[in-house]
Amino acid sequence: MSSIKPFSKLPQLNTANVLLVENEGKLQNDLADAIVQQENNVNVTVRLARGLPLPAENEENRPRIDLVVFIVHLSSELSLVSTENSLKQLDTGYFLGKVCFLVTGARCGLVPDERLVSLRKLAGSLHCPLLFAEDQTREGVSTAAQRVLKILRVSAGLVPMVTGLYLSSLTRCTVPLDSDGSVQD
Amino acid sequence: MEAQKSATMTPRTNVASGRRSLGFEKTNLRYTPGQLTALRIPTSRRKPNTRNDIDPEQLAYIANIEWKLSYVTPLYKFRHTQLVLYSKQLSAFIVAEKQKGIAVEVGPEMGFKVVFSVVLGMTETDEDAETVFIKICSKPAFAVEGSAVKVVWSGWFTCVNGNLDYMRSLPSDFVSLPLFCTNGPESITALVKSWFTRMFDCYFGPLSLNSSILQWLGALWTECHPASNIRYLKLAWNLPTLPPLDISYTVHPQDAWNLWSSIRQNDSMEDGISIEEVRRFMKGLESHFFRHFRMHLSAGMLTRICTSLGSAHCDGTIKITGTQYITPVLMLLTECAQLKMPI
Amino acid sequence: MDAAAEALLRQTVRRIPSSKLNGVLGRWGCLSEAQLGSLESMQPKWLLCDNLISLCRENDLSMKHVAEVEMLYCIENPKRGMWYAYQMVETDDEAQSLELMHFRERFKAHLKDLIGHVSIKLKRHQDESVWIRIAWGDNFNRPNHLKPTYVMHHLQTPYVFVSGLTNKHKPLLFQALVLAAGYSSIKNAHLNGRCITALRDLLMRQYKQVFPSSCPKPLKESNPLPNPNIENEHAKLVEHKQRAAAEAFGYEDPPKLERATYKLETKYREHGNESLNGRDEPFRGVVKFTSSNLLESLKYCITSGMASTPLTPLLSSITQKGRNYFVIRDKGPSIASDTLGPDH
Repeated sequence: MSSIKPFSKLPQLNTANVLLVENEGKLQNDLADAIVQQENNVNVTVRLARGLPLPAENEENRPRIDLVVFIVHLSSELSLVSTENSLKQLDTGYFLGKVCFLVTGARCGLVPDERLVSLRKLAGSLHCPLLFAEDQTREGVSTAAQRVLKILRVSAGLVPMVTGLYLSSLTRCTVPLDSDGSVQD
Repeated sequence: MEAQKSATMTPRTNVASGRRSLGFEKTNLRYTPGQLTALRIPTSRRKPNTRNDIDPEQLAYIANIEWKLSYVTPLYKFRHTQLVLYSKQLSAFIVAEKQKGIAVEVGPEMGFKVVFSVVLGMTETDEDAETVFIKICSKPAFAVEGSAVKVVWSGWFTCVNGNLDYMRSLPSDFVSLPLFCTNGPESITALVKSWFTRMFDCYFGPLSLNSSILQWLGALWTECHPASNIRYLKLAWNLPTLPPLDISYTVHPQDAWNLWSSIRQNDSMEDGISIEEVRRFMKGLESHFFRHFRMHLSAGMLTRICTSLGSAHCDGTIKITGTQYITPVLMLLTECAQLKMPI
Repeated sequence: MDAAAEALLRQTVRRIPSSKLNGVLGRWGCLSEAQLGSLESMQPKWLLCDNLISLCRENDLSMKHVAEVEMLYCIENPKRGMWYAYQMVETDDEAQSLELMHFRERFKAHLKDLIGHVSIKLKRHQDESVWIRIAWGDNFNRPNHLKPTYVMHHLQTPYVFVSGLTNKHKPLLFQALVLAAGYSSIKNAHLNGRCITALRDLLMRQYKQVFPSSCPKPLKESNPLPNPNIENEHAKLVEHKQRAAAEAFGYEDPPKLERATYKLETKYREHGNESLNGRDEPFRGVVKFTSSNLLESLKYCITSGMASTPLTPLLSSITQKGRNYFVIRDKGPSIASDTLGPDH
């Protein structure tokens, strides 16, 4: 098992690398295809993982990861739990603007409200942006890919004058407030 | 057992203070786009206690029937005193729609009768509006005097232990009866809904029961086991595999109760059940399942809860058999319906 | 051609899809070429049915012939209702060398000894299986051909597959079968499903070799990522899981089962629940898995991570033991032991 660090490897010219972490492996293939197809100017590579930590045998040829995307399906509690477990394995350096959450199924009436609330709390406490996506349609996946790409370009340092930390301070999820207005843990 | 007794002995008038002591001290908030609503998901509930002050004849209309659930926004200028008039108006409306050529299957015969009535006593606080029951019976064209009429459609609006803050915030002309249960042909349901929408300026939406609501129901019914045998506790999940996999787990009632009471033992709350206990109960069942099959039920969705006291399906249907425990179930459903209210 | 035969013919024609109807009637062999030709492309079905009945009258066909066409269709499309598997035990030497003719004579004789009004048809299918169609009657009624019992049996194997059998007729059929095939008794194999070929494959894997679990062939490359810019970190893990799933439940098309039932009578043993863990009584429950293709669903569970590997023997027992009903009890007297096993 190997843990990835944001700055342990040198960046390559005009390259951005994104890691998609999803327990079920349902959406990541489609999303990866959409991401690679949409980007023409920059050399984007997508790495897929079921969870963290990553296997040690790929350590050598794994490039520097610029952005870690956690895909969470709200319809499955397991998806949320495994994301929480993976987060514990992630180097703290990533939380400075190189992590985001991609959530599906938030509109489904059958999803317990508490699950989204706890995910918002999680994302809020880690100062990460929370993206909502539709995984059932082609358009939904391509929109999600577009959004991930936008963040990826910034966190890979390909957009002049903007850093991942700066962007995430604008887009991060806010911690839900209690009725008194105090921040709840 | 003693806790249960003390709960039944709690006088009705203490209900309001009891609610406060059960507390919302640790609450989850619910969001609507853009703003924070005042409605919360409570993290604890009162233990179910038996009720026998509702007219059993009226309860019989509600028991043992599978109801489809909807939520409805507050009714504008609805008067409980005008029910006879409403009966006539709804009846006339259905006739008019039929003449317009909209297919309505009230029966092979032309004649039918709409009856509005009040089910007294199905409330918890003084601010809950009384339950309104609607019956549509077919009248055979050549009816023999005294022959039994057939109920082709029935439905009822109710509010049990509605959120006081919410109801007090409503303007005085609105009556909040957020839960609407129907049984009968969809076409009639649609007609009744459209009449209510026009008459009382309200909006109907489907009410589905998510897994945490179903878990609450499972725990509430299991809690009743010593007083009234639940015979079985059946849970069903659906796993999103290809093709979909359905898993049902039927637990022996005594063993389910033993697990539940072992979780309840360490608890300090005498007359309440906390969401933490419900979660631990379900986790206890899921982990016993996992030990055998090494399968994560949490990857799927809880679709159904059944005991001999009632059954509920996630698509928003419920059947209540043990009417003595009807109030806690309706309290839960009222709460669900109120969470759908726009603010 | 009486009313009962007519009713059966109508029911059978209704059940057969139009596209297959002409083929079935051709193989039946009771109608002449010209008669078949006149029925061809006749629509709608009720019109065809009326014409078919008048042709049958013309040819002076009886219930015997009509039952034959129903049986013909059933053997080719055995997808009606549930099939239940039974296993005969304690063979004598005779069973190994039993001929079809001999079996047929003995079965008919034994069953007719037991019950008077019964109509039996035996047929050998292309794949060497013997099909038996039984219409049951009693002292006062003629055999009811609308609800026949079907039995499928491979000679020289102990397995029998039965569909449409009532409890009333069960002992009669079993006695006749056991006596005819030269066994001493019959027991429930605890396997049922809608697809009879799946049940047969599961039970007779030693004869048919549908599970090459001993010699795993290389897995078909599962959708190799075409893009060099996409790489799966867990490719090895996914492949490992796919292999585990395939070894347990078959490689390509696993046998089609619809359900599996487990009766759990094991003790409750979870961390942090001491009051229940100390109890001697088991935690009773029944678990049912249902799917339109259960083994395929279970395979998906494993590859997608919804089920953890290594796979529990409880699930792999479905294919290894050829059963879909199990009673699970704790093994041995020791409470600490963590082994579970399906009992026999």
